[in-house]
Amino acid sequence: MASPKRLTLAKNNMLRSALRNPAFSVGFSLTLIIFLAGIVSFFWTPFDVSLVTISERLKAPSLTYFLGTDHFGRDILSMLMVGARNSIAVACVAVGIGLAVGVPLGCWAAARGGLVDVVLMRGNDLIFAFPALLTAVMITAIFGPGAVNAIIAIGIFNIPVFARVARAGAMALWPRDFILAARAAGKNRLQITFEHILPNMAHLLIVQGTIQFSLGILAEAGLSYLGLGAQPPAPSWGRMLAEAQTMMVIGPHTALFPGLAIIISVLGLNLMGDGLRDVLDPKLSRAK
Amino acid sequence: MSLLSIRDLTVRFGRFTALDGVNLDIQSGEIIGVVGESGSGKTMTALASIGLLPEGAKAKGDILFDGRNLLALDENGLGAIRGDDIGMVFQEPMTALNPVKTIGDQVAEGIIWHTKVSKAEAQTKAAFMLERVGLPLSEFPLDRYPHELSGGQRQRVVIAIACVLNPRLLIADEPTTALDAVLQAQILDLLRSLVKERNMGLMLISHDLAVVASMADKIVILQNGKVVEAGPAKQVLRDRREPYTRQLANASIYKPDRTTRPVGAPLLKVANVTRDYALPRKTMFSKPGHFRAVNDVSLNINEGEMVALVGRSGCGKSTLARMILALHKPTSGTIELGGISVNTENDAELRTARRNMQIVFQDPYGSFNPRKNVEWLVTEPLHLLEEKPDPAEARTMAAKVLTRVGLEQDALERYPHQFSGGQRQRIAIARALITNPKLIIADEPVSALDVSIRAQVLDLFAELNANLGLACLFITHDLHVARAITDRVLVMSKGRIVEHGKTADVFDNPQSDAAKELVLAAPDLAKVLTS
Repeated sequence: MASPKRLTLAKNNMLRSALRNPAFSVGFSLTLIIFLAGIVSFFWTPFDVSLVTISERLKAPSLTYFLGTDHFGRDILSMLMVGARNSIAVACVAVGIGLAVGVPLGCWAAARGGLVDVVLMRGNDLIFAFPALLTAVMITAIFGPGAVNAIIAIGIFNIPVFARVARAGAMALWPRDFILAARAAGKNRLQITFEHILPNMAHLLIVQGTIQFSLGILAEAGLSYLGLGAQPPAPSWGRMLAEAQTMMVIGPHTALFPGLAIIISVLGLNLMGDGLRDVLDPKLSRAK
Repeated sequence: MSLLSIRDLTVRFGRFTALDGVNLDIQSGEIIGVVGESGSGKTMTALASIGLLPEGAKAKGDILFDGRNLLALDENGLGAIRGDDIGMVFQEPMTALNPVKTIGDQVAEGIIWHTKVSKAEAQTKAAFMLERVGLPLSEFPLDRYPHELSGGQRQRVVIAIACVLNPRLLIADEPTTALDAVLQAQILDLLRSLVKERNMGLMLISHDLAVVASMADKIVILQNGKVVEAGPAKQVLRDRREPYTRQLANASIYKPDRTTRPVGAPLLKVANVTRDYALPRKTMFSKPGHFRAVNDVSLNINEGEMVALVGRSGCGKSTLARMILALHKPTSGTIELGGISVNTENDAELRTARRNMQIVFQDPYGSFNPRKNVEWLVTEPLHLLEEKPDPAEARTMAAKVLTRVGLEQDALERYPHQFSGGQRQRIAIARALITNPKLIIADEPVSALDVSIRAQVLDLFAELNANLGLACLFITHDLHVARAITDRVLVMSKGRIVEHGKTADVFDNPQSDAAKELVLAAPDLAKVLTS
């Protein structure tokens, strides 16, 4: 094994070169803001999100209420912070489902080829044929609205995405000489997949993961906008937008800030994904 | 006045100097060979001559083409010269052509761009040029796509593109390195006749002294971006005044000292092995056809024997090697190593067989997982042992084989990208040696290496054979390598072994057509210089 010192050194270099990439550092900072907001909300929010103060309704942003209040007089900043928690959790688990199911399927298809490959990939195509958000609406409509069902619905549609990326990455690696050498060393397909295939396509999965993460946040916002995501009183960005819709004229800030939160997190994650791709794929950075 | 005159050309990338005061002249109708090892600045010289230096390069000096300084021209001015007055042929015919355009369109493209003629007229010219390079319209209509052609045919298309506008200077960067010896001879003939017929200047870049000696009027030898020696090709290579010239010339005709060992017990027995590949179905309901890659091959290798397997590309050499290594299953026939069948379903038997044979690949860059360190990589085959050694033991074993192939202990903790091509090939050999195999299958192990490194690796193989009694199946298209290191040779053609015998006998007096063709086409420095 490499000495631990050498390993941390390599990782530090990676982080340093990542931070030198402007797309990554901007995206990383934006994402960090959202994550921190979510984490801090566990311990502290400016106001209690369930505190309804009708006398303070629809206040414009001020020193007391940094981002103003909604039509029930709840503090918007506090609601956004707690809502971030919800968005992140849904997207995290949805990406997790996609990775946990899709990557093994893709690796299996690439390793076995033949009938396994055909059946798995055509099954993939079948899932792709359903419009993702509409099907998510259907699932939540059947099993009832709520954060858990939203997670499952979004997660299912991440499976074929990761299966495809994993299969394509693995297929490109299997004919390589070092895989042949491993086979000549008597290793079986499972072992080769763990030792050689996965580490060499991790960058593909990380980049796809950040992009799916941002899509997950969008999908969650969409579902809760329709009232199919997290249920009240738990705040969620999509429902805040939906509720603000009717107040647009009297309190435009009630729609503006949840919208900004969604934009910032999606933009941040996409920029981070782009930056990561440049940093992790040496071929692209050399071409620059 | 010279056609191309490079004066004091210095190219820098930041602090790194790629070319350092290079001088070079090419007259019309003259072939200049530019020779050197990797990193010597050969390709940089070519790219500078056509104004295609990579971004970030700072060039000083003059590149005068027909009196105009290319370094002073802007992109538009260069565009008018490129393709029209200067043509370029690249090394890799697989990537130099656009896969989604027909060959006719690709040849015609330059004509339309530079001469503004109609498409029909350009196509006529293109057809004429393709005919000239040996792709007649009747067999190769203009609407063929690159993937429908073989490597040699593609290189002909690349040459047609480069020559269709009658350029006055042609730059060929390793034009035949990716081709087998027979194709190489054909392409070199074509280039030679085009130069003569059109009075072109040709800058031929190559690492192969024999090729340059047989083609070039003058030679320029580069080392670390500097011109070491320049002059009439044969004279320079015969006199070898400069130490570096001598070193290069000696390395390219290098033969390790080896004594023929007495033949040991039979080790590998391949009997009547055939391998078919299914071809794509013609229609959805027809039965798929077969391509027979290896056809009824039988061969034996004894312990401690060095055997060469030579043949043109696509003759089935690598498929045969993979079947011996039990990476592919034969369609029929048997393969036994030390009395154990390698096609067995019995896992324990297969492990024993695998322990006794290992592989060394051609490409020292692709044969390692870039994310593992050398210790991990070298100890990977220990997986085959019945009792797996503990990490400390494995480390000792890895250190031992690394010392055996001439690397330092500190290599263990480093990663493959920290080594040069020659060192990586040593690591590959170390990995193959760690299970104490009786047979190593080496698939073109030195063809990607520079000549001086090649000599060292050949030495290593010879030494391992002498001291460990290691048997080796050397797959190569380079007859010189085969002659230098093997006792016996098998000549393969179209899936069959058409000739076998003592290496020297077969090469001095080939009997089959395939062997004759190979021997005739193989460039031979000694022969060229004495003629």
